[in-house]
Amino acid sequence: MKARISAMMDGELAAHELEEPLSAIASDREARESWRTYHLISDALRGDAILSASCARRVSQRLAQEPALIAPLPGAVRAPERPRWFVPSALAASIAAVAFVGWVALAPQRGSAPAIVPAPLAQAPQAQRAAEPPRVPVTSATQDYLFAHQAFSPRNSLQGMAPYVRTVADETVQRKK
Amino acid sequence: MSRALGAWMLCAFAGVAQAQVSPEALDWLRRIYLATERLSYTGTFVYQQGDRTETSRIARRAEPAGSVEKLEVLDGSPREVVRTRDEIRCYLPASQTVKVDRRRDQRSFPALLPAQVATLGEHYDISMDETGRIAGYECQAIVLAPRDALRYGYKLWADVQTGMLLKARAFNRNGETVEQFTFTQLEIGPVPRERVRPRVVARTWRIEQAAVSPANLAQAGWTMSADLPGFRKVIEITRMLRDAQPVGQVVYSDGLAAVSIFIEPLAGRAETPQMGLASMGAVNVYTREVANHLVTVVGEAPAASVQRIGNTVAYRPTQ
Repeated sequence: MKARISAMMDGELAAHELEEPLSAIASDREARESWRTYHLISDALRGDAILSASCARRVSQRLAQEPALIAPLPGAVRAPERPRWFVPSALAASIAAVAFVGWVALAPQRGSAPAIVPAPLAQAPQAQRAAEPPRVPVTSATQDYLFAHQAFSPRNSLQGMAPYVRTVADETVQRKK
Repeated sequence: MSRALGAWMLCAFAGVAQAQVSPEALDWLRRIYLATERLSYTGTFVYQQGDRTETSRIARRAEPAGSVEKLEVLDGSPREVVRTRDEIRCYLPASQTVKVDRRRDQRSFPALLPAQVATLGEHYDISMDETGRIAGYECQAIVLAPRDALRYGYKLWADVQTGMLLKARAFNRNGETVEQFTFTQLEIGPVPRERVRPRVVARTWRIEQAAVSPANLAQAGWTMSADLPGFRKVIEITRMLRDAQPVGQVVYSDGLAAVSIFIEPLAGRAETPQMGLASMGAVNVYTREVANHLVTVVGEAPAASVQRIGNTVAYRPTQ
C-alpha cells in the first residue's frame, strides 16, 4: 500500500486507481501515517519543511472552529438557499477527507491572503483578544442593535420611554458623516 | 424597625459592608418605579451625550388595559417611537421605515421590579443626595455609585410629590457625565388619546418585524458568559434584524445595566462591517468576528466591560 500511496503522490496513478489508496488513507492509520511522512519528506526536500509538520492537525482544528452550516466555502456553486439558523450540519465525512481537501478549504475566506497560511492559525483569536479594539464610527446598523437591545434594559422601568431616544439617531445627519 | 432589620439582612445576605445602601434611597427607587408604571404625563426632555443634544417630547397615557407611550424627537428628522402593551413601533421618516418589536408577554421584557431593587445593593452603593428644583418640581436626588469599574454610576432626581423621574445622569469612574436626560417641562395628569398616537402616516413605509422566538445557542455550539460579577443571563432569543436576517440575542443584566450579545452569519452580507468599538453616551458597542459570524455586543456599561463579555463568545461545533 505504501508504494501505491507514494505513486499517487508522484502523480503516477490513473484516475481509476486512486480510490484504493485514498480509502486506505481514510481508514487505515498506518497508511495515513505514511501519507504524512511522505509529504513531510517531499516538503523537506523542497525546503518547505514548516508546512507539513502539523498542517493536517491545524487544518482540522481550524475547520472545527468553523460553523459547518452557515459558513459555506467561498465560491461554492450551491444555489443560494436561506441558511437554517443555528443548525450545524454534519461535519466533513472523515478526518482524512478533511486533511485532503483542507488545502482548498483553507483558501482565503475574504480576498487577499495567500492560500496557505503557515504558523499562527491556532493562535490568531487569542492574539486578537489581547489587542485594544480599534474605534469605529456609529452606523445605522448600530441603531438596529440598539433598538433590539433597548427593550431589555431595566432602566426602562425607571425612565419609561425616554432611553429609546438613543435608538433613533437622526438618519439624515448620519448620512453626511 | 423592620426597615432597619431589612437593611441589615440585605447587607448580611449580600456580604457587603453595612451602611452602603440607604433604605430610604431604596424606597425612593421603588417610588420612581411605581410612578413610571402608573402616571400619565406629557413633557419635554433634553438628551445629552457627548456633543449630541436633542430635545424630545414624551407622552404617557395610563390605561387599565395597558398604557400607551409616545416619544417624539423634536430636532432633526421627526422620529417617533410608540409603545403599547403589545409592541414597540419605531417610525423613521428619513428611510420610510417602521421597526416593530412585538412583546410576546410582559415577562419577555424584564423590568427592574420593586422586589429586585434591593439586590442592586450588591454592586452599587445607594444613597440619598441633595434636593433641588428641576423644571419647576421639587426633587430628591438618589445616587447609585458602582462598587467596581465594571459599570456606570447613576444619579437620579425624582419629584418629591409623585416620584416621577425628572433627571437622570450616568457617570463613569472619574465622575464624568457620559449621558444625561433632563426634563425641561412636565405636566402630570390625564393625557388625551391623540397625544400618544403616531403623527406620521406610514402606510407605504417598509416594515421590519423583529419576529422574536426563544433560542438555545449553546445547543448550536455557541458558548458565552457574562464574565462580570453580578451580571446574569436574562433572556436568549432569535430575532429578525433589518432585511430578515435571523440573529441570535442573549441579554445579561446586573439589575440596572443590560448588555446584549448578537450573533449572526457573516456570509452573504453585502459589505463587511468594521470590527471594533463604538461609543455613544452610556452605550458601548463592540463588534468582532467569531467563526465566520459577526458578534455585536451592545451595552449600557463601560467599553472594557462590553468588550470583556464579547470576548467570551466562542464557537465549538456540536457532534
